[in-house]
Amino acid sequence: MNRELNQARRDVWQSEGFTRRTFLAGAGKVAVAALGTQLVTARAGYAQGSGTGTLVVIFLRGGMDGLSVLVPADDPALAQARPRIGIPGSALLPLDRGFGLHPALAPLHQLWQRGQFTAVPAVSTPDVSRSHFQAQDCLERGGSSAGAVEGWLDRVLDALGPGTGFRAVGMGSTLPRSLAGDQAPMTLRSIDDFTLHVGDDVLPQSTAALGALYNGIDHPMAIDTATTLASLDVVRGLAAAGYQPAATYPQGAPGDSLRELARLIKADLGLRVACVDIGGWDTHTNQGTLDGGDMRNQLTPLGDMLGAFATDLGDRLDDVTVVAMTEFGRRVAQNANGGTDHGHGSVMLLLGGGLAGGTIHGSWPGLAPDALDQGDVAGANDFRDVLGEVVSARLGIGLGALGPIFPDHQVTPLGVMR
Amino acid sequence: MPESVTVDRRKAIGALAGGAVAVTALVVIDRRDHHGKLWEGRDGDSRRADAGFANRDDSYAAAGGEIAAPAVQAETLLFATAGEAAAGTQVTVPTILRTDDPVLHLTRRATFGPTPDLVDEVHDLGIDGWLAQQLDPGAIPDPVADQGWAAFPLASADPAGVRAVVRRFDWAAMIEYGQAALARQVWSRRQLFEVMVDFWANHLNVPTPGPGAWDVASSWHNDVIRANALGSFSDMLVAAMQHPAMLRYLNANASTREAVNENLGRELLELHTVGVSAGYTEDDVRNSAYILTGRTVSDEGRMMGMGQESEFVYDPNKHWTGPVKVLDFSHENATADGGMEVGDAYLRYLAGHPSTAQSIARKLAVRMVSDLPPQPLVDRLAQAYLDSGTSVGAMLDVLFRSAEFWAAVGQKTRRPLENVVAAARIVGLQPGDDVRYGVAGLTNAALAAGHRPLGWPAPNGYPDVEAAWRSAGGLLTLWNHHRAVVGGWYEGLSYAEPLDMVSGMPTGTVGEFVDSMCQRLLFQGFHPGQQAALIGFLGGDAAASSERAGVHWKGFEVASLVLDSPYFMLR
Repeated sequence: MNRELNQARRDVWQSEGFTRRTFLAGAGKVAVAALGTQLVTARAGYAQGSGTGTLVVIFLRGGMDGLSVLVPADDPALAQARPRIGIPGSALLPLDRGFGLHPALAPLHQLWQRGQFTAVPAVSTPDVSRSHFQAQDCLERGGSSAGAVEGWLDRVLDALGPGTGFRAVGMGSTLPRSLAGDQAPMTLRSIDDFTLHVGDDVLPQSTAALGALYNGIDHPMAIDTATTLASLDVVRGLAAAGYQPAATYPQGAPGDSLRELARLIKADLGLRVACVDIGGWDTHTNQGTLDGGDMRNQLTPLGDMLGAFATDLGDRLDDVTVVAMTEFGRRVAQNANGGTDHGHGSVMLLLGGGLAGGTIHGSWPGLAPDALDQGDVAGANDFRDVLGEVVSARLGIGLGALGPIFPDHQVTPLGVMR
Repeated sequence: MPESVTVDRRKAIGALAGGAVAVTALVVIDRRDHHGKLWEGRDGDSRRADAGFANRDDSYAAAGGEIAAPAVQAETLLFATAGEAAAGTQVTVPTILRTDDPVLHLTRRATFGPTPDLVDEVHDLGIDGWLAQQLDPGAIPDPVADQGWAAFPLASADPAGVRAVVRRFDWAAMIEYGQAALARQVWSRRQLFEVMVDFWANHLNVPTPGPGAWDVASSWHNDVIRANALGSFSDMLVAAMQHPAMLRYLNANASTREAVNENLGRELLELHTVGVSAGYTEDDVRNSAYILTGRTVSDEGRMMGMGQESEFVYDPNKHWTGPVKVLDFSHENATADGGMEVGDAYLRYLAGHPSTAQSIARKLAVRMVSDLPPQPLVDRLAQAYLDSGTSVGAMLDVLFRSAEFWAAVGQKTRRPLENVVAAARIVGLQPGDDVRYGVAGLTNAALAAGHRPLGWPAPNGYPDVEAAWRSAGGLLTLWNHHRAVVGGWYEGLSYAEPLDMVSGMPTGTVGEFVDSMCQRLLFQGFHPGQQAALIGFLGGDAAASSERAGVHWKGFEVASLVLDSPYFMLR
């Protein structure tokens, strides 16, 4: 082995912190036989069809306490149930219908004033479950029917038909359950890390060999290999161009993910559906107050990163709708650890273009004792009515074509989209 | 028609398809044709037909498509010995892996990856002899792994030892433990033990690093997980529910009679024992939390002075008293002082519950056999667990004597950590002049691929099925890691030059060189198409001189490509 060459590569590898390697320009084009059906293509200038734009689905894992986010400020039952962790009405950012927004979400309130943010309270799944897994599974499969084993976004992609290798992106390391299925989603952590550490002298041969190694192999990895190889050149160009976001994202993986999505959207790579996970919402203890505690610590970066995403996208925000959802709301009454245990009705947050802004949508059953479901916010708005309407308006799938996406539910729009 | 395309695809996971167009035939499928009837008429398949999945991995596996349990052709499903089971089971499942040497299958499943020495060792001892050794890990000398482990002194420190050298809430000890665990995975000769340690650490997941574990993580992993990994689950559960790491992580330390916190009480039922399909109620969850009140940690404010910092204490004043009932467990729970005893009785009841046996047996079968394992095997493992008083060894004994295990060659896909570790093992990375730095590099590779040891952030542990790990970016991370291990880029470790791995090279032909590298790294040759891929990389002429084809410098790339191949991605 050429020790000198290897030493040079090793130096690059180590100097760049195990993650990055610079290349000379001019890699050969890789032919990937496996892409014969054109489910995915690497063409950057993907011709936009009738449906345009991007749906970004953020999953707030752990069960976000909706009553700390979209606060029914006028409801006396709330202050009674939450003497230690209630948000005083005077501090709330005013919305509509008696609701106020947690002040840590100020960037969202600015979007609200522009008609680019709204929310739906008392969102529920058909199965009442206080198990994280069951409730997440129900949401991510898009319902509870026996037929809906794929992720709901996999069925959305099925309805959309072929697109580019970037048409479905899950940010992170594991595939979001809502994208699980056959539609060849791409999972990645960052654009700059999406690179193969081989020298330019052997790059074309290496990618050709990798394609051939998986040709004819009956395994989902073969599809992912084809997607990866077909996308390398495009990503390389994107990485080489660098990225200066038009806003500052908070540090951490979720902010990084949104920044990378903004980058992909602005590069016009045909991104239609994207998923981001944000954890840390299982606040059994120390939810805290306006002055500190876990809720403020969770909401501040959430508001900042969503605000940065909107600012960074600029005019392109009109082509993007973001839905942030969580598996369940939390119990109305605080527990004695200054937290809340698992509840039921939750809140969905929506931002971006195409929204019917200026109002909070959906029914609100209130917090009177007889309105509660075993001590929890009752479910009043089916999550599929929100998602179905958003998908239809944002991605151009007719309401009549939503049947296969939500096989056990007839979508009735709440009017969240214009 | 579309449906049959799906069926063919998933039955033949990891097989060579009929032709080069097979991949293209897969991707456009009109699944509306078979909505609602995916699981009809599949006798013997362990997939539940109704909407509710028992857990996340089952749900993912179902979404990945229709995977039949591997067909089994054997004279019996349970043999007297593992060796007889290996010899008496025909491998009929389509796979690209060679099926004529059960030792390769065993070492892909029961270890973090075969090495030439390990394969020779199992052949020498025989399958039963090797397994008997593995089930008594304390008797196996383990000098290289001990050397790796010793480079991370905080990995064996007790909480007081950590507190003595680490700033409060600093992650240093938790990070060291994760690195030391990875060092053991790479170098330990007690491989089955290490596989089960990782299994249980995920089953009772306390994220490491994670909140609340800064001083107690090493103790958690050593005193709860490692101490019981091949022992009884009942003992492990009892130890877990009186360890500060678990009590803090799921908020039981803050749960009191006046202020019951449900977090641990619920996850104990759902994740650690019976599972959601056991049909417990919200009342059961509440009672489960009542029973655990009083179990706290010595530095919880009011508890100061009741022991050393970060020690488990049972505080009767915090225990909820009164009759409790969870599933079929009930107790008067009349006195505060008796609460600890009630709790331990409850934990042993849960550990011995048939639903717990099913959950754990299924999880073990998913780990060892296939993503949707055959139900008869799961039932057999569950029975062994119950008959033996929750013995892990008894389950493993039955597993390796079962035909289903030996029939499932190539039906699992390596997760990123398993890929990272297996690559380090097969190229023979050894401790070098800076073990800490080298192991940190390997850990970073696992981190970059999203699978740092013990790092899953939620209480349910890392997923264990292929459908959850599909990732285009993740493939690149692994391919880059393969170049790093082959090239010796992990500074601080020693490694073999790629050409030194294959004897007599580079004097032969390109074809011979490629075959030797495949044999050295995979214990088998490639199929013609895959072989042609490597020969193509070296110029396309199998009969050409390998020296003239440039293996002196391209050997590095060839070895990397062998590890990138689908053969290495399967286990």
